[in-house]
Amino acid sequence: MKIGSKEKLSSPQAAVILVNYILAAGILTLPRSSAEKLESPDIWMTVILGGLFAMGAGIIIVKLSQRYPGRTIYKYSQEIAGKWAGSFLGLIIIIYFFSLAAYEIRVLSEVTSLFLLEGTPIWAIIMPFMWIGLYLIGGGIDPIARLFELILPITVIIFLIVISMSMGIFELDNLRPVLGSGITPIIKGVSTTVVAFLGIEIMLIIVAFMDKPAQAVKVVLIGTGTSMFFYLITVVMVIGGLSVDGVLTKTWPTIDLIRSFEIQGLIFERFESLLLTIWIMQIFTTYTITFYAASLGLSQIFKKKIGPFQFGLLPVIYLIGMIPANMNEVFAMGDMIGYSALILFGVLPLALLIISKIKGDKA
Amino acid sequence: MKMTQKVLIFILAVISLSGCWSSKEIEELGLIIGTAIDLDNEGEFEDRQSGIDNGNVFKLTNQLITAETANNATNGGQSQVRAYKNITETGEAVLPALRNMILRIDKRAFGEHAKVIIIGEELARGYNLEQVLDFFRREQEMRSSTLIVIAKGSASKTLESAEPTVIPAIQLVEMIQGKERSTKILTPMPIAKMEGQLNSGNSFLIQTVSTENNDRKLTGAAMIDGNTKTLRAFLNDTETEGVTWIKGKGKGGLVRSYDEEDSQPIVYESLSMKSKIKPSVQGDSISFTVKIETEGRIGEHWDISGKAFDSKYMKKAEKATEKEIERLVKNVLEKTQEEYKMDVLGFGRSLQISHPQVWKKVKNNWDETFSDIPVEFSINVSIKEMGTSR
Repeated sequence: MKIGSKEKLSSPQAAVILVNYILAAGILTLPRSSAEKLESPDIWMTVILGGLFAMGAGIIIVKLSQRYPGRTIYKYSQEIAGKWAGSFLGLIIIIYFFSLAAYEIRVLSEVTSLFLLEGTPIWAIIMPFMWIGLYLIGGGIDPIARLFELILPITVIIFLIVISMSMGIFELDNLRPVLGSGITPIIKGVSTTVVAFLGIEIMLIIVAFMDKPAQAVKVVLIGTGTSMFFYLITVVMVIGGLSVDGVLTKTWPTIDLIRSFEIQGLIFERFESLLLTIWIMQIFTTYTITFYAASLGLSQIFKKKIGPFQFGLLPVIYLIGMIPANMNEVFAMGDMIGYSALILFGVLPLALLIISKIKGDKA
Repeated sequence: MKMTQKVLIFILAVISLSGCWSSKEIEELGLIIGTAIDLDNEGEFEDRQSGIDNGNVFKLTNQLITAETANNATNGGQSQVRAYKNITETGEAVLPALRNMILRIDKRAFGEHAKVIIIGEELARGYNLEQVLDFFRREQEMRSSTLIVIAKGSASKTLESAEPTVIPAIQLVEMIQGKERSTKILTPMPIAKMEGQLNSGNSFLIQTVSTENNDRKLTGAAMIDGNTKTLRAFLNDTETEGVTWIKGKGKGGLVRSYDEEDSQPIVYESLSMKSKIKPSVQGDSISFTVKIETEGRIGEHWDISGKAFDSKYMKKAEKATEKEIERLVKNVLEKTQEEYKMDVLGFGRSLQISHPQVWKKVKNNWDETFSDIPVEFSINVSIKEMGTSR
């Protein structure tokens, strides 16, 4: 599985991967986690601000990756920082990727066993999910991209339908006053919303696969913009429907919003299972791409075939996912991963870019 | 692939894919459609509050639909069996009471289809509603679309019916849905909205239901205190009408006024209503202006003098209706400001929206502050038509 063979991504495919990766657990929890920080209805501004920050970070990552065409972070970090430091860096990024994969499957199992498959053991929910993911990434980046291209339109359509159904309980007053407590809480909340845009770091890897790497900046802008749009609709509708005070007490506010109304006369009266379905697909995409990124990293650093690494990571991901003992620990794990990513992908690429420019190496 | 291998895979797939892990047969379920929560009347109330007695505090009544009751209902209700089944049990909290029901019924109670929760007056007066409803907010089987209603008197009585074919819980929900055509019914309050209200610390209103001759009737509203989160008092029908007009949260509804000359009733039927509460702050003094606009038609009018509906008459009818609406809104305002000193009408919220800084200063003592704030009304009624008779 060599890079530069047939495995090439078109620019739209890269954008689709980016959107699918960014949208994950955050859709269900972002309204609450940001409401906790802000305690004002101005969350939507924070979402926009967070998205802009993510775009900035994404552009830096792309600029860095573009200096080393055809190579992923795992390879070029060794060129910039030297063999040992570079490999160490690569390993940290790998740990990040498979921890994120583990976190996603844990959240998936918690939500499905709570709302959909009560009584089904967690392992029975996770295992098929993990195995199918393994089967998918066994085929490389191309099948992953193709599956993601199928999943995204389904997500968009169902999401828009389901969320617009909540119009009936939407109250504009719940979103007011605008800027009631000034601008400070909005800035404070950015650290929460920017974490929801995690996924931008995949550009460290997929720029190497793109057939037109020059368009990578455009991919970042479109991909992050689309995700921002999703998050924006989500927080506006959830806060508008349930009010800030109501959101604070919900573990999964977005599901609760969809559970707060019934529509008579349509074929279905209840829509939360539709929302959960697309959400599960989004978790799956995040899980597979992080799983793939982690195994690709291992294979590139150790210069071995990717297959055994994929099989080897499977139990590791499962075990890490099972570490948190309860829901609070799951959320704490999510926060930990999120904040480590802020440092790892907010600061590090910039540092690497500067070093790379100073050293002036050009591939 | 060999044929035997194909068959083997097929059989394996059928075995492993067809089952449902945690399936529940519908015949074995009892669908909870309504729940009434009351205070258990036996024993001393004070003892329990101080925790001396570990006895049961809550009396829970679940209205169930089972395979048997549903069958009887569809058979035209010929038999003596009711279309519903009420089960009452007591417990020291909501969930224990629910679990005690297991000892009484063979069906597995299933809460996904719960439509309404009725809270008894005594319980609502004595207990923090946030605590009472905690189970329903926490349990994932309970949907947050379930409506909350406060009962005057006993809640479990509202789930009883003289007619065997009627399902009281469903009837109650449909009645609340009649909001479109009456100003005497409040906007439905699902748990999802209630949670925000309780958490915000503002006082608010919930629909009230009472029992008359074994039947349910919607009667006014319950005022929930934002600080204690308990029931303070009830508003009657007329006062509830005033609430609907101030909030502008309604559509249809009647206003009956009198012709000034011959004192014959004119009934105005509202087709749309709109209201805006406008706060104005000058220094330390806060005041409100409420602008109410409505469009509608003459629904009924008893003037038999044969006077045609000329525009002069229409103006007169509009004026008379405006006066009546003003009486309604002033009536409820006076009651909330002077008698109860509670803002259940959303004035605080509108101040928060337009003057967030001022609100921060007054919000801790808002109910008290509100009771002295002057409110002005400007009401504009326009009659668009008078039906098929002139």
